[in-house]
Amino acid sequence: MAKKKVFQISNALTEGLEETVTAAHNYNGELRVEIIPLKKIELDPENPRDLILTFEDLYNGIDKGDKNYLRKLSEKNSLLSLSNSIKDQGIINPILVYKHGNKYRLVAGERRTLASILSDKSDIQAKILDSKPTELKISLLQWVENVERKDLSLWERLKNLEKIIYSYSTGQNIPLDEITATNLSHLLGCSLPHAMNYIAVLTADNKLKTLIQHNQLKNLEKAALLATIQSQSTKDTAIEACLAGATLKKLKGILNQEKQSKSILKQPIILKGRGRQATFVNLGTTKKVQVAKLIIDSILDNAKVTHLKPHFSELNWSDYKSINHAFKQLLETLEQIEA
Amino acid sequence: MTKIIVNATHKGGEGKTTNSIMLAEYCALIKGLKTLIIDMDPQANFSGRYIQMEYDPAYRGGKIPAIHPDFDPTTDHEWDGRSSIANIFYGEEVIPYPTAISNLELLPAHSHKLQEAEAVTKNDVLEKVHLQLKRFLELSDVRSSYDVIIIDTPPSKGPLTIAAIKAATHIVIPAQMEQFSIEGIYGMLQLWKQESYYRTKDNQIELIGILPNQVRDIKLHKHFLEGLKMMKGVSDYVMPRVIKKRAIYTEILVEDANPKSIFDLPKTNIARQEYEAACQYIMERVFTYGKEKSFSN
Ligand SMILES: Nc1ncnc2c1ncn2[C@@H]1O[C@H](COP(=O)(O)OP(=O)(O)O)[C@@H](O)[C@H]1O
Ligand SMILES: [Mg+2]
Repeated sequence: MAKKKVFQISNALTEGLEETVTAAHNYNGELRVEIIPLKKIELDPENPRDLILTFEDLYNGIDKGDKNYLRKLSEKNSLLSLSNSIKDQGIINPILVYKHGNKYRLVAGERRTLASILSDKSDIQAKILDSKPTELKISLLQWVENVERKDLSLWERLKNLEKIIYSYSTGQNIPLDEITATNLSHLLGCSLPHAMNYIAVLTADNKLKTLIQHNQLKNLEKAALLATIQSQSTKDTAIEACLAGATLKKLKGILNQEKQSKSILKQPIILKGRGRQATFVNLGTTKKVQVAKLIIDSILDNAKVTHLKPHFSELNWSDYKSINHAFKQLLETLEQIEA
Repeated sequence: MTKIIVNATHKGGEGKTTNSIMLAEYCALIKGLKTLIIDMDPQANFSGRYIQMEYDPAYRGGKIPAIHPDFDPTTDHEWDGRSSIANIFYGEEVIPYPTAISNLELLPAHSHKLQEAEAVTKNDVLEKVHLQLKRFLELSDVRSSYDVIIIDTPPSKGPLTIAAIKAATHIVIPAQMEQFSIEGIYGMLQLWKQESYYRTKDNQIELIGILPNQVRDIKLHKHFLEGLKMMKGVSDYVMPRVIKKRAIYTEILVEDANPKSIFDLPKTNIARQEYEAACQYIMERVFTYGKEKSFSN
């Protein structure tokens, strides 16, 4: 007897539709661009700066008596060509700010802002956030913006994702290897299968990653499929077929032949280290303040950083947040010293 | 505030024009709302239902609106007597045409001028095209003259469709329950999403939903509709009303059709009931503020 015919909307299309709706819900309003007066923009005192030139220096002229006069002057000169192009065409990428009282604090776009002031503009295009964004939020915004750009390579998207996962892991205090595809799908506002594909590719071995990096492997689904093949010989065959232009269907065929029936793609995948090059060390978490204190004090005994001791003398040891913050800064300082 | 509803999907033959007509006549005839209709499609079908369109002597196959009834050649020296929505792209005056239905006014298409706007590729010009309809509809003269504005769009994802979406407060996606049509839905959801990113939270473009159209009692249609209703998030945007394939929806468009509008049919007529229910659903959604909507997230 003939099988009853069932018509189905393809998985790819279903996934695309679902992702689109979720993303629209998660990110509506996030990329709105408005034109704001330059006078209302201020620097965020908590953010490190590359330049020492201030907005006032540009509005009022650099004070000749300023001990940094020469450096500021050269910084100003270095902005001239950008400023000329802004005079002609305006800025290409809006700056990113967040609301702070009746002012806007700068998150990204310091040079663009300074150059706009220099070009005698009175306002600037800006994306406005309601509050100070976390690192995670900033990388997510980059993600949302970038996925709209079709010219972004898979490799560039992966690099961006690594940043997101890393900031999520540190921000939430979740060890990297416990971040699941479900977490990722919520973060990105994409479907679970899509997130699984990303995680599979992020944990791929170096050979695959090199192919992706050199843009020989461009398709996420294919890359994810290849990444999850266990047997090395099957994998090599499949990679070869893929480079020769095999379709996703054909690649799946190769896999099935090898009876990889419990395809990892079907189960939630955890970002496990297998084969993946770790790019940073996670120093773990503790609930015990004494332990944290012991670690920090021991580090501070090291000659390279003893000079930082006074900074920690006022640390509030009963507040986890301040300890986290202090330790993070200590790590950053150490990274700079060792760089 | 004036509500602006756009019917869009980049596939042709889905029912954009049909739905624009039905909504417009529902608003004007049944609800008595001051209604403006705008035809952004160079094919000018929507316009042709309400005013005489003439062949463009300069561009073969193109259509232009007939001379405006208010035109007086003895006094109007600056004006050639025709006006279309495409004028907004040329910095020219826009004068709505009255229609046989009181309460219903039309800004018709002009094939060639709209095609020129649609063909724009240069970045800075493109941006102007994208924002021009929005700017025009934000004029207080326009706002204060109408309760509802209904826009029909060309079967594309190009500048004219984008301009309509940027101008709209609400969007309706009419779609057949067939393969290419679902792909058309995908394309429109992308535009909607993109637009929602760039709008402030209190000024969002609201997706009323997908209106299944030309539905027949066949497995394909049933399965596709069920498929859409099962998709996470998407299901909230499948309208709980369906338009079946019926000859009357096409017949009513013929020039000397009698009755002229679906809403002139008796209230017991099944086709009228069906489309009126869909229009009622859409307009209720448009006029209730979107807050009580619950997303199964
Ligand atoms: N529910 C329906 N039943 C029968 N014919 C329909 C129905 N909806 C649309 N049509 C017909 O299908 C054709 C395409 O519809 P139209 O509204 O012009 O689509 P679009 O504007 O999206 O291209 C028209 O001839 C129209 O009369
Ligand atoms: Mg049409």
